[in-house]
Amino acid sequence: MPTKNKFYWLEGVTEKGTRALLTDENSKFKWLRSQRNRRLLVVINLLGIVLVSLGSYFPVLKTNLNISTETEIVVFSVTAVFVIALTLGAYSFLRVAVRGIADAPDELLDERQIQVRNSSYRYAYFAMANLVLVVFLLFFFGPDLQLFQPEGNDGSYLVIATLFAYASAPSLFIAWRERDI
Amino acid sequence: MSRNPEDPVFNQIEATRTSLGLSRQELADRVGVHYQTIGYLERGEYSPSLVLALRIAQALNKEVSELFSLTERKKGKK
Repeated sequence: MPTKNKFYWLEGVTEKGTRALLTDENSKFKWLRSQRNRRLLVVINLLGIVLVSLGSYFPVLKTNLNISTETEIVVFSVTAVFVIALTLGAYSFLRVAVRGIADAPDELLDERQIQVRNSSYRYAYFAMANLVLVVFLLFFFGPDLQLFQPEGNDGSYLVIATLFAYASAPSLFIAWRERDI
Repeated sequence: MSRNPEDPVFNQIEATRTSLGLSRQELADRVGVHYQTIGYLERGEYSPSLVLALRIAQALNKEVSELFSLTERKKGKK
């Protein structure tokens, strides 16, 4: 008899998916869960977020590449899509590495995991509050940025990077702080 | 990750568990927590709630006071 797969609307996860992430049995990704690999993923994720945000400053950062404008647009677009896809992939691996604890509902976690998840959100909130302040300062005092405009410095990459940071911040803290047991 | 790092709670979980021939996973299954949580408890890096302490004591056939203490017990002394 097929068991019902409950969907948690608040967390946006399914019961079966979360249970599969929480266990180490039959997991293809057990190797990801060592502290060394988790911390490596934290560095890759942070690097990805920084690279995506730099997309907003491409016209400022570019040097004499000696290529046509059309080629430049293609090179930039392909690079941007590649970096965003890479960051998205790294974020997916990060979720697996921390067993999806950051997005799991209370009833599927034990009391220590709930405590770890809650404290990671507390740290993430403080970190993001400061990061958003930096983003605001960049918008106001940095090079001119425009949102959703075909020309000029496209600030939407900064917005995408901020969204990545928001989504991954709790998992980043869990990945860094949890120990190998 | 202790509730209050200044007041660690010492325990005899590992010694009792191994004397009963249980793995961390088996004890975790009995008390309904992740096996990592048992590891954190044994290393004194996490202090359990009262209900978890009671469940662990029940699973190991011990009294809570035999498993947990506010002062460190010498090895071999139960």
